[in-house]
Amino acid sequence: MTATQSLLFVLLAPLCSAAVIALFLRRFGKLASYVSVATAGLIFVAALNALHAAGGETIHDSWLWLSFGDFHVSMGVFLDDVSATMLLMVTFVGFLIHVFSLGYMADDSSPARYFGGLSIFMFSMLGIVLADNLIMIFVFWELVGFSSYMLIGHYMSKPAAAAAQKKAFIVNRIGDLGFVVGIAYAYWHLGTTDLEAMGNIIGADSSLISAGIAALLMCGFIGKSAQFPLHVWLPDAMAGPTPVSALIHAATMVAAGGYFLIRIVYLFPPEVLSIITWLGVFGAVYAGFCAYARKDIKQILAYSTLSQLGYIGAAFGLGYPGIALFHLITHAFFKALLFLGAGSVIRGCHHEQNIFKMGGLWKKMPITAFTFLIGILALCGVYGLSGYFSKDAILIAAGFENAPVSYLLTFGALLTAGYMGRLFWVVFLGKPNSEAASHAKESPITMVVPLIVLAVLSVVGGWLGYWPDVIGGSIRADKAELHHLAGYDAMHNKIVILGTLAWVIGLVASFFFYGRGAKEDRLEKMAAPVYGFLKNRLWFDEIYDFYVAKIQQRVAVAFSFIDNFIIKGVLVRGSAGVVAVVGMCSRSLHVGGIHTYVYWFLGGMILLWALGAGLIG
Amino acid sequence: MTVGLNAIILVSGLLFAIGMLGVLLRKNTLVIYMSLELMLNAVNLALVAFSRYNGTMDGNLFVFFIITVAAAEVAVGLAIIVALYRKRQSVMVDNLNAMSR
Repeated sequence: MTATQSLLFVLLAPLCSAAVIALFLRRFGKLASYVSVATAGLIFVAALNALHAAGGETIHDSWLWLSFGDFHVSMGVFLDDVSATMLLMVTFVGFLIHVFSLGYMADDSSPARYFGGLSIFMFSMLGIVLADNLIMIFVFWELVGFSSYMLIGHYMSKPAAAAAQKKAFIVNRIGDLGFVVGIAYAYWHLGTTDLEAMGNIIGADSSLISAGIAALLMCGFIGKSAQFPLHVWLPDAMAGPTPVSALIHAATMVAAGGYFLIRIVYLFPPEVLSIITWLGVFGAVYAGFCAYARKDIKQILAYSTLSQLGYIGAAFGLGYPGIALFHLITHAFFKALLFLGAGSVIRGCHHEQNIFKMGGLWKKMPITAFTFLIGILALCGVYGLSGYFSKDAILIAAGFENAPVSYLLTFGALLTAGYMGRLFWVVFLGKPNSEAASHAKESPITMVVPLIVLAVLSVVGGWLGYWPDVIGGSIRADKAELHHLAGYDAMHNKIVILGTLAWVIGLVASFFFYGRGAKEDRLEKMAAPVYGFLKNRLWFDEIYDFYVAKIQQRVAVAFSFIDNFIIKGVLVRGSAGVVAVVGMCSRSLHVGGIHTYVYWFLGGMILLWALGAGLIG
Repeated sequence: MTVGLNAIILVSGLLFAIGMLGVLLRKNTLVIYMSLELMLNAVNLALVAFSRYNGTMDGNLFVFFIITVAAAEVAVGLAIIVALYRKRQSVMVDNLNAMSR
């Protein structure tokens, strides 16, 4: 198969799988799960084949999809170095999470709906990865939004899940409004939405860069990647099944926002980049604090994801898209690992999610615990693990470009180590704190194998030297650029020392503060106001609720009054009323007696005569 | 002996008034119909009288038209009344008030 054929296979196979499951396999959950997992495996192989066939060349093929006069919309595949890197990560991590789901969802009541959803998600996500123009990205962007909606609400009988799926969808719409306006603006301004063509146009004449387009397109990123101020949907999205949280809300979909920015990096002027940097820095630190006041294991990981997405945004904003991509990839490995580990723990504890009711799981679930520890160390940026390389590069870049950002992000790393340490010490050490935890058993092999593979990747995923040549070119380029800056060695040493201090202090302090297998949160006991403050997450949900309930609702009531009273009442009902009155009057003339009509006739004659004689009118 | 214009117009006016009252007061459709014809003839009489008084033929010409049209109208009108009677077994206007019910 040629590269293009392989890529089309990669894109369309999950769609076929979803269609087959939706049409024929709804009642055959087991079969549906095998179809979905087999497809996920096949697309990984096909993606490898495509990269092999392309041999490092850029592949760009597109086909006309719609035509309105002069306006043509095409669908196409655009495989360059960045999308190749992303493609490999998405297909591989996706495949592992599909395998994990086999075990996790084994006793679910509707596995066909779940695996069908995973397939449609893979289709949508790969569409974003391979898309060659903004309109196609937008189409698939909305499709991932839909599949996210569908999978968050998988446990549809739970009201929290139904509310969370709606929230995720609606909050994303806000960002997407900016996105779609940005696409129209870009088309109007540049005459094309093709990624490669736009790049060439901007490359030839950099005065065409427009802050408006960049800021509007950035809105899409803010919504999908849950950046401040649209971050509120991501923690709630944890109501979905845990593998979904791993796949969609940690490894791939939320990272798609960052990937999208990297695809259109040439459109961004410095002002918009600095907005993205500061949003990212704020998100990274803010989410780090919020995680301390969460007791649900998945919520803690969700805030950790928000924080890491902040790092990705900050790296992009600092002008190093390659390093943002690097952190995106390593984050996908260790965060997928952590979420799957959490899934394994939750399943082991019979769907208990409160970390203070766990404890002592190291002995009960040794493989899960060990891989989880590796995930935590990678996330904290321990020297030599994948997270170290990417986070270190971000901190160095920040050190050169913007010192305050560098210090804030290092502080974020300290927070990260603290809350991840809290999570680990409380869940895995000490003694079981509940009946469920004391009966925990290691998970089945379909769940353990993905954990081990991801743990290996979390260790070696950052060793760029061992990456195949066809992927990661932009990462190497950005790394090399950093290396050649004057004072690199001094900065590198400083960051390594600060970064190492951050994770050591974070882990050790949380160990002594929270203790092994704690039954309750010591911060909550010792400093309830602080805990309460953190728990309220700066009241963003409350502010949005207030806005919706008190401001937007009032405006809606005013408009509803205009609609109901003026348009419906006065204009529509009013004109109907006038006609009805006229009808009523003329009906009363109609009495049915011939003599009356003669009198009317006579009256009419007199009226005409009077008019003719000029007596009236 | 010649009869003056005033006398003829007076007769014509009386005939018209009788026809008018007949239309307004009588209940039988046939009688109303005859009253209508009476009113037409009153008008004819007035037209002929004026024509003669003025010494022109305009009025006489109108009369011929009116007689012709009235003949056609009588044919149609009587046919309608016959059809009405067949359907309702009555030609009294009090019974012909289906539109008010």
